[in-house]
Amino acid sequence: MSARDRAPDLRWRALKRRTLTGLNPAFESLLAGLAGLLIGAIVMAIWKYNPWKAYAAMFSGAFGDTFGIASSLARATPLILTALTFSICVRAGMFNIGAEGQVYVGALAAACVGYFSLPPGLHLIVGLAFAVVAGGLWSLGPAILKVTRGVNEVISTIMFNWISHFLGFYLVANIMVDRIHSERTVSVPPSARFPLLVRGTDLSYALFAAIAFAVVIYFILWHTVTGYEVRAAGLNPTAARYGGINSRRTMLLAFILGGMGAGLAGASMVMGQPPTFAITSGMGEVVNLGFDGMAVAMVGRNHPIGILFAALFFGGLTAGARAMQMRAGVPLDMVLLVEGIIVVALAIPELARVFRILEHRMVRFLRRRSA
Amino acid sequence: MTGITQTANALPPEDYYLRAERVTKIYSDGTVALKSVDLEVRPREILGLLGENGAGKTTLTKILSGLLPPTKGRVISPRGPVKFASPREALQFGIGMVHQHFALVGTFNALENVALSHSRPFARLQLANTRKRVEELMQESGLDVPLDVPVEKLAVGEQQRVEILKVLSRDVDLLILDEPTSVLTPLEVDELFSLLRGLRDKGKAIILITHKLKEVGSVTDRIVILRRGESVGDVKTAQVTPGQLARLMVGETVEPVGRKAIELTEEELPRHEASRHMQHSEGAGILHVQALTVRADTREAAVKDLSFDVHGGEIFGIAGVEGNGQSELVEALTGLRKATQGVATINGTNVIGKDPREIYRLGVAHVPEDRWRLGLVLPFTLAENAILGVQRWEEFRGPLSFLRWRKINQHVRELMDRFGIQATGPSAPAKSLSGGNQQKLIVGRELAKDPAIVIASQPTRGLDIGAAQYIRNLLLEMRDNGRAILLVSADLDEVLALSDRIAIMYEGRFMAVAKPGDFDREKIGLLMGGVTAKEEA
Repeated sequence: MSARDRAPDLRWRALKRRTLTGLNPAFESLLAGLAGLLIGAIVMAIWKYNPWKAYAAMFSGAFGDTFGIASSLARATPLILTALTFSICVRAGMFNIGAEGQVYVGALAAACVGYFSLPPGLHLIVGLAFAVVAGGLWSLGPAILKVTRGVNEVISTIMFNWISHFLGFYLVANIMVDRIHSERTVSVPPSARFPLLVRGTDLSYALFAAIAFAVVIYFILWHTVTGYEVRAAGLNPTAARYGGINSRRTMLLAFILGGMGAGLAGASMVMGQPPTFAITSGMGEVVNLGFDGMAVAMVGRNHPIGILFAALFFGGLTAGARAMQMRAGVPLDMVLLVEGIIVVALAIPELARVFRILEHRMVRFLRRRSA
Repeated sequence: MTGITQTANALPPEDYYLRAERVTKIYSDGTVALKSVDLEVRPREILGLLGENGAGKTTLTKILSGLLPPTKGRVISPRGPVKFASPREALQFGIGMVHQHFALVGTFNALENVALSHSRPFARLQLANTRKRVEELMQESGLDVPLDVPVEKLAVGEQQRVEILKVLSRDVDLLILDEPTSVLTPLEVDELFSLLRGLRDKGKAIILITHKLKEVGSVTDRIVILRRGESVGDVKTAQVTPGQLARLMVGETVEPVGRKAIELTEEELPRHEASRHMQHSEGAGILHVQALTVRADTREAAVKDLSFDVHGGEIFGIAGVEGNGQSELVEALTGLRKATQGVATINGTNVIGKDPREIYRLGVAHVPEDRWRLGLVLPFTLAENAILGVQRWEEFRGPLSFLRWRKINQHVRELMDRFGIQATGPSAPAKSLSGGNQQKLIVGRELAKDPAIVIASQPTRGLDIGAAQYIRNLLLEMRDNGRAILLVSADLDEVLALSDRIAIMYEGRFMAVAKPGDFDREKIGLLMGGVTAKEEA
C-alpha cells in the first residue's frame, strides 16, 4: 500500500456521513432550528426583550389564524421556486446565483400580458409561458459561458443579475410604464391573474403552480435518466464521464430548468400578488426573492420536498416578523437579527455538506494543476 | 541471494545518521506495509531505495523522517529522538523531502517560494535575507535556478531544483527524493545526478526512491531493495549487477493464483445489445491498436507509437511499474482521453475520438483503475451505481426517460447474488460498502454487460486475498467464454498468473511481448526497470 492508494480513502472519509451529525436529516434540522431559537432568545434576553412573548407573537402571527397561514403561504410561494433554481444547479455541481435576475426577467415577461387580451385562463397560461421561457433564456447566458468557455458561474450569474437589475429599472420606468400610474408598469388584467385561494388575503393559486414545479423537479431528478445523469455529474464529474454522461449537457439542462423556475417565481408575483398586479419602480415585489431562495434551498437541504417545508418556514418568519414587532414590541432590527440567527443555524448542516464537496473538488483541481 | 543481504554493515557504529531497527508498519485497515525492516542511513552516501509499487518505499521514508510512527521497532539517531508532528519539525531536525508532486506557488518566483517555505503565518517574507542565503547556496552546491521568474514559467527540471533549493535552504543533512526522475528529460536527469553527487561529497546523506534500475546503478553508492514490505537486500552498488537487482525486486516465487471455476454460465448473463457485436471466431483480434500515441496531462507523450492486438478467448496482460503510460493507454481506449495519433478498433470500428457511451455500445466493459474517482459515485446508492454507464439501456429506461426502479432493483439483487456483494440492499449508499464489495459491484456491473472485451485496470488493487481471487476467477471465466480481456496491473504475480500473453510496458512502449513461460523473473524485472537484453549484455 503506497500513500497514493490510501489518500482517497482519507479524503472520502469526511464525505461518508450523510448529514453533518450523522442523524436523520429532519431531526438534525429540528435540532439546528431549536439551537437557533435558543441563541435568538439569549440575544433578545440580553437586550431586555421577552423572548417568550416575542416567539409567541411570531408563531401566532405566522400560523395562528387563517390570515396568518395564508400570508405565510403566499410569502413561501416564490421562495419555493427560487430555491429550486439554486438547488437544481447545486445537484448538478454548480453555484447558480442568478435566480435573482431571472426572477426580474420572468416578472417583466409576465407583465407583458397587459398589452393584449385573451380569454381568461388562456391569458394566464400564455403569461406563465412567457415568464418561464424568458427565465430559461436568461439563464442561457451564464450557462453557455460556462459550458463553452469554462466561465465560473458564480461570477457570470452575478453579472447577469446586475444586467437584469438595470434592464428592469429601465423597462419599468420608461417602456412598460402605466399611463395613469407612472410609478408602475401596466397592470396584469384579471383574465391573466391567478385566482385568489383565500378571500381577503394575498394567497393565490400560484402556490399550486410552485408546488407542482417542485414535484416535477423531484421526479425529473430522482426518477428519470436525465435527472440521474445531472446528479451523477454533480457529485462526481469524472465518474459521470466514465459513465458516458456529457456533463456539459447536464449543466446546461440544470441551468435552463432553474431559469424556468425563477421565471415562474417572477410570474407568481406579478400575476398572483394583489393588489397592484404590476411591477412598481424599484421592483420591490421581486427584489431579493432570488437571494432568499438560496437560503431556503440550504435550509431545505437542496431537496424539492425539503424546500417546500423550508419555504413555508421562511414565509412564516416573514409573516411573523410583523406580529413580533407589533404585539411584542421588538424593533425591526432585532427581529431581523433573530431571524438571521435562526436561518444560519438551520443552514449550517447543508452548508457544511456542500462546502465539503466543493473543497474536495478544489483540492483535486489544485493537485491536477500542480502535477 | 541471501549472501549479499549482509554485506554492507562494516562501519563504526557512530557513523550513521539514522537507523531503523526492525521497523514494522501495519495500517489501521490491517494492511502490512512493512515487515521488520532494518535500514541505516549514512552521511556522504547516496542510498537507493528500490522496489515495485506497494513495496513499502514511501511508508519507509515516512517512518524514517518521523512523520509516521512505526507499529513495531524504532528509528534512532545519534542526534536525538526521531519523532515529529509535521514536515516542519522534520526539517528543523535536518530531514527534508522532495516529493514527486511539487508544492510550489506557480505565480511566485523561486525566491518567493523559498522564502515562503521559511515563513511563519502572518509574518513578512524575508526576501532580502533569503536572496543572500539562496545565492550562497547556489554557489556552494552548483545548483542553478533563475530566481526572478515565476516558477510556472520554468521547465519541470528547474522547478524540481527550486524544490531541492527549498529543502537545502533549511540546512538539512538528509535529503529524500521520491521518484525524482519520473518527470525529467534525460539531460535533466544527468544534471540532477551530478548535483546529488556534489551534495554527497559535501557530506549530505541522500535517499533516492526509484524503480528504475539504470538510474539506481548509475548514481547510488548503496541499494536497499524492498519487496512486499520486506527488505530483501542491502548491497553496495559496485558489487551488484542489474540482473541481480531485478531478481531481488520482483522475487522468485509466484503467489498462487487459483483458477477455481465459479457458477457463472452463459445463460445466466443477461443479454444486452452489446452481445450482437460478439465475434466468437477464434483468433480474430477484437481489439486492434495501431501506432497509438497518447499524451499525459503534462503534454508529454505517455504512450508512444504502440501497436498490439487482443483476441477473443485470451487475457492480454500489461505489466510494468505504474506511471509508464498504462493509465493513459486505457483512458484512450475507453474514450476518456484523446489520442494524438494512431488507430484503435474494436471489432473493426475505430474508437479513437468516440465518447465512452459509443464505445460501450461496441461491447466494451471497463473496470477502471480508481474506483473512487472513476468507477463509482460514492454518495449514490448501490442501485444508482449499478446502472452507471448503462443508464440509457431500454431495460432500465421507460417512457419519458423514466427510470424503471423496479427493474433496476431486481438487476441489483441479481448482481448481489451472483457476485456475492455484501450490502444491506439496493438502496445502501455505495460509500457504506467495503472496498472489496465496491470493486465487486463495479466488476459485476461491467461483466453483466456481456461485453466482447473487458478492459480491466488494477482490478484487485487494495482488496483482500479472497475478493482479489474471486475477481481474478471472474476474468478467467470471461476469457473461457471467448471474451477478449486486456488486463493492466502493477501486480506482477497477477499478470503472470492470469495472462495468456504479457507485455512489459516502460515509458510508453512495450519492452517485450511474450507468453508468461517465455520470461524468467529476472528478465521481467530488468524490462520493468527499462533495461533491455542488449544493454544488459
